[in-house]
Amino acid sequence: MKRNNKKLPIFLGAACAVLVAAASWYTVTFHDSRLLAPMNMSEYTFQVKDLPMLVSGTCLVLYLLYLFILLLRAILANQRREGKSQITRTLNPKLGLLGFVGLAGFLGFWTYSVDKTIFPFVFFIFFGFFGFFYEGKMSATFMDERFQENRMKASAAANRIAITVIFAAILILGQGRLMGNLEYTLIALIIVVALSIALQIFLSEYLLYRYDHQDAFEESEE
Amino acid sequence: MPDFECRLKKYRQLKDLTQEQLAIQVGVRRETIMRLEKAQYNPSLKLAIDISRAVDTPIEELFIFDHTGSP
Repeated sequence: MKRNNKKLPIFLGAACAVLVAAASWYTVTFHDSRLLAPMNMSEYTFQVKDLPMLVSGTCLVLYLLYLFILLLRAILANQRREGKSQITRTLNPKLGLLGFVGLAGFLGFWTYSVDKTIFPFVFFIFFGFFGFFYEGKMSATFMDERFQENRMKASAAANRIAITVIFAAILILGQGRLMGNLEYTLIALIIVVALSIALQIFLSEYLLYRYDHQDAFEESEE
Repeated sequence: MPDFECRLKKYRQLKDLTQEQLAIQVGVRRETIMRLEKAQYNPSLKLAIDISRAVDTPIEELFIFDHTGSP
């Protein structure tokens, strides 16, 4: 991205922040915090004094849309670059530590006991980020035909293991009799699926590393 | 593991090429050449042809497959 292109989102963001702050100050000072404080939108009728909040809100939404489009374009450009490149992407193996974010999945036990929310169990997927450790170790590796073959082999093995675990879990949990409680069954299923996906993400990187460094492993075993 | 004998090391040394040089010439990593020489990797037809051209040796001289057990 050019220097000017980098500055534009920052400038627009700052402008939006100033606009929202000014509109909020106006509505708090002169308009009883209308559109800022919680209100029943089904009974909303337009007033001229609403304009600052409406304009700033619209600008904010447009700015967020602009950021989303920028993000999308950056992702597509990266994908195109990676598609053409013969070298694996450069990653720091320390990013593998992000796998510990998976521990956030245990929050689900707390939220379930508080207000029956089960969504945090999905965070177990983040255990898959441990795979970044092995991906980082294989940073900037030339992807020749043996590498491509190993990658497909690793991916196939990881998929097979994850699908087997999910299949077994569905067979067992699908009876819906875990501790005689259907909710517990659903929770167990979410945990198993999330952990299986994490396992697939991790294993595909680990096995690729293992296959690629098989010589070194064999020599060290001798 | 592939069931063949690979004589690449002999012909590579005859051409006075290192594994690294040969790898660069045929567009693979040195580890791939290393595994090929140990007959631990079955190359694609394209790679086999590239290697045979790089060391000036026919493919059937480089890779010897044992066909005695086949029908």
